[in-house]
Amino acid sequence: MASADRFASQASSALAAEIAAVVERLRRVTVQVRGGRGGGAGVLWCSDGPRSHWIITNAHVARGPRAGLVLPDGRFLYAEVRATDPQRDLAALSVPAAGLPAADIGDSGGIRVGELVLAVGNPWGLVGAVAAGIVHAVGPIYACNRPSCIQADVRLAPGNSGGPLADARGRVIGINSMVAGGLALAIPSNEVERFLRGLGRQCGDATEAA
Amino acid sequence: MQRASSENPGESAGALLALSNDLAGAVERAGRAVVAIYARPRVPSSGILWRPDVVVAADHTIKRDEEITVTLPDGRSVPASLAGRDLSTDLAVLKLQNADLPAAEIGDTASLRVGHLVLALGRSGGDSLGASLGVISTLSGAWRTWRGGHIDQFVRLDLAIYTGFSGSALVDASGRVVGLNTSGLARGMALAIPTSTVNGVAEELLVKGHIARGYLGLGMQPVVLSHALQKKLGLPSNSALIIVSVEPDGPAEKAGALIGDVLVALDGTPVSDTDDVQAKLGREYIGKELTASILRGGAVAELVIQVGERPRKDK
Repeated sequence: MASADRFASQASSALAAEIAAVVERLRRVTVQVRGGRGGGAGVLWCSDGPRSHWIITNAHVARGPRAGLVLPDGRFLYAEVRATDPQRDLAALSVPAAGLPAADIGDSGGIRVGELVLAVGNPWGLVGAVAAGIVHAVGPIYACNRPSCIQADVRLAPGNSGGPLADARGRVIGINSMVAGGLALAIPSNEVERFLRGLGRQCGDATEAA
Repeated sequence: MQRASSENPGESAGALLALSNDLAGAVERAGRAVVAIYARPRVPSSGILWRPDVVVAADHTIKRDEEITVTLPDGRSVPASLAGRDLSTDLAVLKLQNADLPAAEIGDTASLRVGHLVLALGRSGGDSLGASLGVISTLSGAWRTWRGGHIDQFVRLDLAIYTGFSGSALVDASGRVVGLNTSGLARGMALAIPTSTVNGVAEELLVKGHIARGYLGLGMQPVVLSHALQKKLGLPSNSALIIVSVEPDGPAEKAGALIGDVLVALDGTPVSDTDDVQAKLGREYIGKELTASILRGGAVAELVIQVGERPRKDK
């Protein structure tokens, strides 16, 4: 019985260490976005050549032609709002900076109800705050007036908008967009990739070329 | 945009990934027995396939007795009939016609410990399966709801009972159903009704359509006794129950009870609140004779009341 207990405590401390590692990696790719009114979060999505980096956030966070960014290391940059899609609530921003990290992007098509998710953002201005939960539902969801949504049982607040929703591997599977009925609604990562492809961006290839 | 995930250097989330997969597996397994119930305006509520043709639900979500439909896990919508309901435990039982789906795998609520991870599984918005995660927050022994229902174990949950989640399944980490969740028993608090209680109530509802309760035919309220009187009678509490109404032809009237009598003990147990009386009115007491000690004109008298069955008001 004693050995079983010791095993249990090892399992939970391994779990805690892994959560901390995943959160640390997520925080390195989450930025503060200061847009038109209030602010939100954004994800360092991918690099587009040696002197440009793409940031994904919500359209309702980046309203003007430019938005201020605060990087995880505290640097402040201005980003150009390159495209917005109010229907999907997505915005693509770029900064002329090199050497920024990029998020690991997951395949949102493989999401299962009940799997663990972690969200990082700036709820009520609290920078880098983490929330943990599970996927509540996927697919056509009543509260979400878009073709596809991830609904998550995780407690978010204003300031989480535009921030990452990640799976247990730390891969970004969605962009948090709004809270409805206490549940978080996120835009699936595949939807984001489709949005970027629509802009003619091939940032994966560009990274390899560089 | 083709960025292979294999290049991810930090990907070693063994325990976290295993837990995540286990939870998703538990949802998949238990979700095969979770249904959506359309028995009220606007939002549907959830229910559990307790047997292949029997669904248990939270009574407070069943707003109509007829034209109830149930959406099964495979997406089919089938008509259901209300087999019985019990306000006191917030449970209702529906019968399905021609249903052939496997029932829930029922576990034992008594195996739970405070802190165990649990899931609530419901089907409300758009019939799709929904899940919320939390822990067992409080466990204690049997309790009585404010409507007099007996529940085998008090199970409080630290998880979100979303709209339409009353009647959802409480699921343990291995995917077994260990209770029925409701926010309708204690002012919106997330509670689970243990499987043993659901089994007992469902069984009786299927046979009789209602839950039999003992009945005295008395209206009572607590009164404070004087210190001298309490001492003289040797009572443990200075509170007793004064009879404020006696139902004509009820069991208590037949035994000779009068308005103004003060009930101090029932079946040899002192009573200081109506809860103490409720405790003697479970279905096992129906037909039994209970001795009631009453104060009448300053003296103690005894009445023998044969417990009747509570008449049904709903119909």
